[in-house]
Amino acid sequence: MKQLKSKRNWARKIIGGLSFTSALFIFQACYGTPQDFETDLLIEGKVKAQATGLPIKGIRVSVTDEGQDLMTDETGSFSFYTIAKDSISLRFEDTDDAQNGSFATKDTVLTDFSKPIFLDIALAEK
Amino acid sequence: MFSIIKQQLFRRFRESETKQHKLSYLFWECTTRCNLSCLHCGSDCSQNSSHTDMSAGDFLKALDTIKNPAPGFTVVLTGGEPLLRTDIEACGREIRKRDMRWSMVTNGILYTKERHISLLNAGMGALTISLDGLEKSHNWLRNTSAGFNRVVDAIGLAAGSQRLNFDVVTCVNQRNFGELAQIRELLIEKGVKAWRLFTIIPIGRAANNRELLLNNAQFVQLMDFIAESRKSQAIDVKFSCEGFVGKYEPKVRDSFFFCRAGINIGSILIDGSISACPNIDRSLAQGNIYTDNFYETWETKFQPFRNRSWTKTGKCASCSNYADCQGNGLHNWHGDKSQVLVCHNQKIENGLKIRI
Ligand code: SF4
Ligand code: SF4
Repeated sequence: MKQLKSKRNWARKIIGGLSFTSALFIFQACYGTPQDFETDLLIEGKVKAQATGLPIKGIRVSVTDEGQDLMTDETGSFSFYTIAKDSISLRFEDTDDAQNGSFATKDTVLTDFSKPIFLDIALAEK
Repeated sequence: MFSIIKQQLFRRFRESETKQHKLSYLFWECTTRCNLSCLHCGSDCSQNSSHTDMSAGDFLKALDTIKNPAPGFTVVLTGGEPLLRTDIEACGREIRKRDMRWSMVTNGILYTKERHISLLNAGMGALTISLDGLEKSHNWLRNTSAGFNRVVDAIGLAAGSQRLNFDVVTCVNQRNFGELAQIRELLIEKGVKAWRLFTIIPIGRAANNRELLLNNAQFVQLMDFIAESRKSQAIDVKFSCEGFVGKYEPKVRDSFFFCRAGINIGSILIDGSISACPNIDRSLAQGNIYTDNFYETWETKFQPFRNRSWTKTGKCASCSNYADCQGNGLHNWHGDKSQVLVCHNQKIENGLKIRI
């Protein structure tokens, strides 16, 4: 059964390749969207206060040149997908004045994407 | 000669795709509530839909029956207007957790900057927004006075994202037919990379509105417009998958006509029905997630989608193009299914005769 399937896959590629291009395998229905073959990354983590180790809510996490951002939740956690690149610049910023304490901004550049990304970010108090 | 060989090979390819019927594109009709009341709407949605939204839990349970999703497997959220749901991002994250992709079709009205960012954060990978003309004609079709500006803003946001596989769709009708070149310019100016044009089939609210339908000569002009536009690199223009276009195959798309409904495209509709594209006659549903195992249904049923011989009836029975068209897109079969609703090829042949 497995052999039959892999044979069919080859036939699919050969016939597809001869008769057209990879466009054959990419399609969309009239009322649908394009398919999504882009590579992206899930970036997760937690923001804590350097001095106390306590989680900080309301820190703005942003991808510098993507216009993407979000706020940390009650547990200081954040999680988002972003387009894969050679390097990703992130900024952690306290934007809610003194509401959840006052912390200095921190910038980080990610370059190692070989493992799932979970960031432990510690912010110094201002 | 070369094109005949290509066409023959394509038939073999289509046969092999049908045999394998790999599910790689799944519509989820997650709501039939809508914030518009478009003149061409083919679905039975309304501002106060009688259906309640399907819960994310019900949908995910069905999704979990899928074994080994195909590479690039995409769940396409559709409606109604999906953005009326407040849990789209949560649903999207659940889909991504399962190693699947997700995308959404929207009318753009609620697509604000904040929502754009939260959808990207939740891993949305593709998006389609409808723009049905310049201001007057868009607002006419969409039955709204303020839709156009909002949609254009939404298009600007989506086009600015490097992440999204984004395209704009336009439903071509009598009112916007003369504006196509201007719409193309507007989209290029907004940074849009891909534009898909489709026509309306006479069902739903469109059945009794002649202004929504193109005549044969206009249809040929539309094909010419698309074929011509495809020569430029400025924007990728194509005709939707909706039908076999005879002499214009494959000049108006990236490849020959192939209706993949039930072959690679499945759906879970608002009431739990298991089918393919949501615009297909609902009597062709193959099961229901509330009584059947979704993936088992996909694997073992769908015969009317994978063996189209039943469409050899009416004008299709003696058609010399049947081998390539196979009764046109399945959404062109409604009611008693004794006759294909639209034959695009015939429209072209008749339109070309008028031109001569
Ligand atoms: S008659 Fe039927 S099979 Fe022939 S081109 Fe028209 S829709 Fe296709
Ligand atoms: S049923 Fe219609 S929309 Fe769906 S794949 Fe076929 S032609 Fe395209």
